[in-house]
Amino acid sequence: MPEIKVNDLTHTFGKGSPNALTVLEGIDLTFETGSFNTIIGTSGCGKSTLLKMMAGLFDPSDGEMTLDGTVIKGTDRRRGMVFQQDAVFPWMTVAKNISYGPRLRGASKSDQREIETKWAKMVGLTGFEDRWPRELSGGMRKRVDIGRVYANDPDVLLMDEPFGALDAQTKERMQSDLLETWSTTKKTVVFVTHDIEEAIFLSDNIIVLSSRPGRVHHIEKVTLPRPRSNEMRLTEEFLEIKRRLWGMLDH
Amino acid sequence: MKVVDILSSRRLQLGVLSIAAVFLVYMWITNQPDNNPALLPPISDIVASFFTNLNSGNLLSALGASLFRITMGFFIGTTLALIVGCMVGWYKTIEYLVDPLIEAVRPIPPLAYIPIIIIWFGIDEFSRVLIITIACFMVCVVNVIAGMKNVPQVYVDAASTMGASRFQVFRTVAIPAATPFIITGYRIALGAAWTTLVASELLAAQNGLGFLLQEGRRYFATDQVMMVIVIIGGCAFIMDRIFRRIQAYLMQWSEARE
Repeated sequence: MPEIKVNDLTHTFGKGSPNALTVLEGIDLTFETGSFNTIIGTSGCGKSTLLKMMAGLFDPSDGEMTLDGTVIKGTDRRRGMVFQQDAVFPWMTVAKNISYGPRLRGASKSDQREIETKWAKMVGLTGFEDRWPRELSGGMRKRVDIGRVYANDPDVLLMDEPFGALDAQTKERMQSDLLETWSTTKKTVVFVTHDIEEAIFLSDNIIVLSSRPGRVHHIEKVTLPRPRSNEMRLTEEFLEIKRRLWGMLDH
Repeated sequence: MKVVDILSSRRLQLGVLSIAAVFLVYMWITNQPDNNPALLPPISDIVASFFTNLNSGNLLSALGASLFRITMGFFIGTTLALIVGCMVGWYKTIEYLVDPLIEAVRPIPPLAYIPIIIIWFGIDEFSRVLIITIACFMVCVVNVIAGMKNVPQVYVDAASTMGASRFQVFRTVAIPAATPFIITGYRIALGAAWTTLVASELLAAQNGLGFLLQEGRRYFATDQVMMVIVIIGGCAFIMDRIFRRIQAYLMQWSEARE
């Protein structure tokens, strides 16, 4: 059963005003349950806007999105989001950040502990549970972000260039670790990036958006075997996809 | 920090040095043969005035009266500021309704209300506490509003996408994110409380530190005036220090903690 559907979605900022700017036009997409999907495009193609609308942070001016047939309206815990910026709450320890979602719904102290321990381990933060976010590196804070969203147990994970601010090595580690977490939970992921290599390494499907206004230009099925390893980044198949996609993005 | 560390800290040494310098210069001036002690009383006179007023009970009762007013005015004013500031900063409708009012009233110095308050409520305890309350409220509420409006959107979005209701976002995100601003508001309010306290007591009081100042002026007891100034400075300093401790505790998560 298709999980998230985007039906003929168009979004215009300042619709009706003389400065109206259409960022997305006629988007039709289907994200299958348990798949890893990446949206790529040059900056300004509206990929982040699309993701935020899927999260319910604001409504599209035309068209709609559905999750299991229900129209998406407003935010809810079924669609978790990892942001480009650092969204870890600095006033909570790592553990309290991780159990934030369950705590909202009144999880018992022992349930919270269990969730904190489990997800700190899953994202590689065991031993850091009682630290303040300010004591962590950027990469580790991103781990907290991801652990916190996973611990909230959403159906869909929306990730908006989560590794954009990290150095190359940290980024590769985070990508491998994310795939590992994803493969154990099999949640649908929609990941936005402008990094072609990141998209190929992670995804089942890559959606290429053209820019101004953003339209679906191409959908690339990545058939590289899983689990993926860093060596695959240098295989001919990988590079072939990379060349093809690179040509599609307007530089 | 160990006592030895504190004593060897450069910051403390220099701080003590500057206070000692002022103290010594004052002593030197008052020791000049042509110094008029009625204008600049020697330190020994100031200390003597302290003990005279302490033994007569005047000082303690004045201190008690003033601290009571400060505490009441500060507590009521900041509490109201917190409630109103949160509502104004968080709910757009309330903001549009109340913000112009606050902006219109804000530039009026609280002391300007003294005559009308005296006309309405007379010269009594309520009036004095009311003036301090107004002063604390006005300076604090502006900071609380600023704090609520500066909550980073990404925290609000993160909480919402995890299923937090608008009220849960307010309680678990907006309040803690605004804490640095709120604490600053409280600290400024404390300063404002002292300012208005002394002013209101100078004008209309039968006791309190401001009254002691006024009494000193009336009887040309400059030593008493100097003594009260030092006491006020000391009290305000101690209160601010206590506040910094509370701030440091509440802000242990922050990069910018003191």
